[in-house]
Amino acid sequence: MASSKASRLGEEVWKTRMDKVNAELVVLTYGTIVAQLCKDFDSDYVEVNKQLDKMGYNIGLRLIEDYLAKSNTVRRCSNFRETAEMIAKVGFKIFLNITPTITNWTSDGKQFSLVFDENPFADFVELPDDGRAQDELWYSNILCGVLRGALEMVQMQVEAHFISDVLRGNDTTEMRISLIRYIDDELPPEDD
Amino acid sequence: MVVYSFYIFDRHTECIYSKSWLPPAHSGAANGTTTTAKSAADDAKLIFGTVFSLRNMVRKLGGDDDAFVSYRTAHYKLHYYETASNLRLVMLTDTATLSMRNVLHQIYINLWVEYVVKNPLSPVEHKGGAGVRNELFELGLDQFIRGLM
Repeated sequence: MASSKASRLGEEVWKTRMDKVNAELVVLTYGTIVAQLCKDFDSDYVEVNKQLDKMGYNIGLRLIEDYLAKSNTVRRCSNFRETAEMIAKVGFKIFLNITPTITNWTSDGKQFSLVFDENPFADFVELPDDGRAQDELWYSNILCGVLRGALEMVQMQVEAHFISDVLRGNDTTEMRISLIRYIDDELPPEDD
Repeated sequence: MVVYSFYIFDRHTECIYSKSWLPPAHSGAANGTTTTAKSAADDAKLIFGTVFSLRNMVRKLGGDDDAFVSYRTAHYKLHYYETASNLRLVMLTDTATLSMRNVLHQIYINLWVEYVVKNPLSPVEHKGGAGVRNELFELGLDQFIRGLM
């Protein structure tokens, strides 16, 4: 029930409140960023992944406020499963118009996977043919950073990374997200 | 309806924006400007302490989903709104004013998010109020509040 509510909310916000941009512009812009990073770091793909994650993190810190404003969220999610629903069906829906599938929950409810059936960043993309990119570069790594930054602002410390990508020849594109802890409210400093 | 003043506190509990609509004679008396500035900062600290404790008490009694909305004294009414990202908006008005929850929500989505968060040159953390007092935000807020009064 909660899941269909999230879908409806995502659908409605996407239709009524979001400004749209041309999808090809997004693909090309993002592609240019990744290509430039590969050049800047001399195809050190581990470093490129790190930089993408960092960029995403900084985007996430701000994007969460837009998410909260657009989705009219007034209360926190009551558990991490609800958080996952909101990320997939509202967050990804309103910003990228995709709804990744949530699967592979661990039994403690602290880890899940998002499987991307479509990835608007990866259209027309082929990884560099140098024998290493296929094994080292996570092309859409910016998304991990975005989730990490956004969730940190709503007091969840998470770890996110890709474990497979169709660009590398895997069957699916899958991101693994684990909740590390809930961050406590900050207290006002003691007066002396 | 009269709005007296408005405060924004960030998730680090710091007051990053405050504005008063009281005529200057009212707020500072004849103490000189430095004491006025100091007492304004003290006011902000006191207000934060109050709303923070109230919010925690409300949650303890009413459950985590409960929200503290406002309190009223003989002279003023304090309205409180908190976002999931722990940004707290506080507004003081006269006692006859109805709930300003919606107004504070509108300030958050139409002014804060649009003019402060989405301003690429404003920092993510607003230490000491950095990036908050930009022209669009100030103007928008003033117009919005004066439109209500």
